Amino acid sequence: MAFDFDASVMWDSVPILMTGIRLTIIITIVGLFFGFIFGATAGLLKLSRNVLLRKLAGAYVESIRGTPLMVQVMFLYFGLPMAVGMRIPPLTAGIVTIALNSGAYIAEIVRGAVQSINPGQMEAARSIGLTRFQAMRYVVWPQALKRMIPPLGNQFIISLKDTSLLVVIGVGELTRTGQEIISVNFRAFEVWLTVAIMYLALTMTISKILSIVEEKVFHVKR
Amino acid sequence: MPMIEIKNLHKYFGDLEVLKGIDLSIEQGEVVVIVGASGSGKSTLLRCINKLEELTSGEIIVDGYSLTDKSTDINMIRTEAGMVFQQFNLFPHMTTLQNVTLGPLKVRRMKRAEANNFGMELLKKVGLEDKAKVYPDQLSGGQKQRVAIARSLALRPKVMLFDEPTSALDPELVGEVLEVMKTLAREGMTMVVVTHEMGFANEVADRVIFVDDGVILEQAPPKEFFSNPQFERTRTFLGKVQNPNAG
Repeated sequence: MAFDFDASVMWDSVPILMTGIRLTIIITIVGLFFGFIFGATAGLLKLSRNVLLRKLAGAYVESIRGTPLMVQVMFLYFGLPMAVGMRIPPLTAGIVTIALNSGAYIAEIVRGAVQSINPGQMEAARSIGLTRFQAMRYVVWPQALKRMIPPLGNQFIISLKDTSLLVVIGVGELTRTGQEIISVNFRAFEVWLTVAIMYLALTMTISKILSIVEEKVFHVKR
Repeated sequence: MPMIEIKNLHKYFGDLEVLKGIDLSIEQGEVVVIVGASGSGKSTLLRCINKLEELTSGEIIVDGYSLTDKSTDINMIRTEAGMVFQQFNLFPHMTTLQNVTLGPLKVRRMKRAEANNFGMELLKKVGLEDKAKVYPDQLSGGQKQRVAIARSLALRPKVMLFDEPTSALDPELVGEVLEVMKTLAREGMTMVVVTHEMGFANEVADRVIFVDDGVILEQAPPKEFFSNPQFERTRTFLGKVQNPNAG
């Protein structure tokens, strides 16, 4: 049987896929927003002088990094309700998973960037009388943030693609929407191609935004 | 009352005793040059004075405030004792002027306009007022070190500590930094300088201190120190630095 490619299927699927894209974007943005807060907190705790706080942040990072995202989301959505007797809506479960998951990786990005700043910077800042906090705020952090941008861009793109794993709990994001269309028209080639192009457009947008931030905010020349 | 008084200072890094009982008193307006072989503890001694290194035991009193006294505000001491580093350690994300005004703005709570005026005045003093809007990566090593000196002066310190300020510089850039330091010395700044520039020591220092293996082996005014060193170790050291190829 000859395969005949039908471009109109692609066009026709766009309006429905757009509802999926909308959710994908919402999950990614809200998830990464909280992910950044979790990550920055855990990253700084890993640099803390308090052993207990360091161990706590380390346990979070290790347990999240060491388990697959799909297992995390199924545990949160299917597993946890059995123990606590309360169901979380799939969208919330998805956002929480993306936040917790990206947070663990962002923690390592933050820790690495801060530690990569020459200790002489902290010494120079302290030697002009700045407190430890002021030295972090005005000298170390701004330089560390600049170094975080490329790996953060990576993580943003990974997290965006990870939202596709939320199909397992039935969140109506882009991948799920694609599956639904195919279950009706059976045009797997055209629909998955369209879905792939949409993901590519989203990830390229993230790359572009971050390179603009690097150039305009941190004056990195390319 | 001396500006800096060090009593029986000991400093360990782990099991290694780097400073083995230092006693030193430095008067206001005095220029003291500390020399010694690398690893002798001279930089550590300097870094203890503004507590970039914790003292293991002993006491350091700067301008009447004891560093070991819990009630002493260490940030205040650091503004009284400015530090200039071998590697400059300028803040690369700030312009030259911003480097100089950060202390006045955040530590002294100066108004921005006032801080900028003061910063420009200091840049002028080190001959770099035309570089105010430039970032450190566009400066030569000598220019960077002059900015670093201006940044320390911005806190109006009573003492300036210099940790091998010219050691990372190309030979032709050493002179411009030493000139700025000489100006400071002439203006009556109390200075403690760790350096290998024996010419500077000879010309500017009131006293030269030779640190050897964690103790002050001998100290004397430069003329006496260079012409008539008392110890064999001092003579060996001076022989090496004054005629490096003979070593």
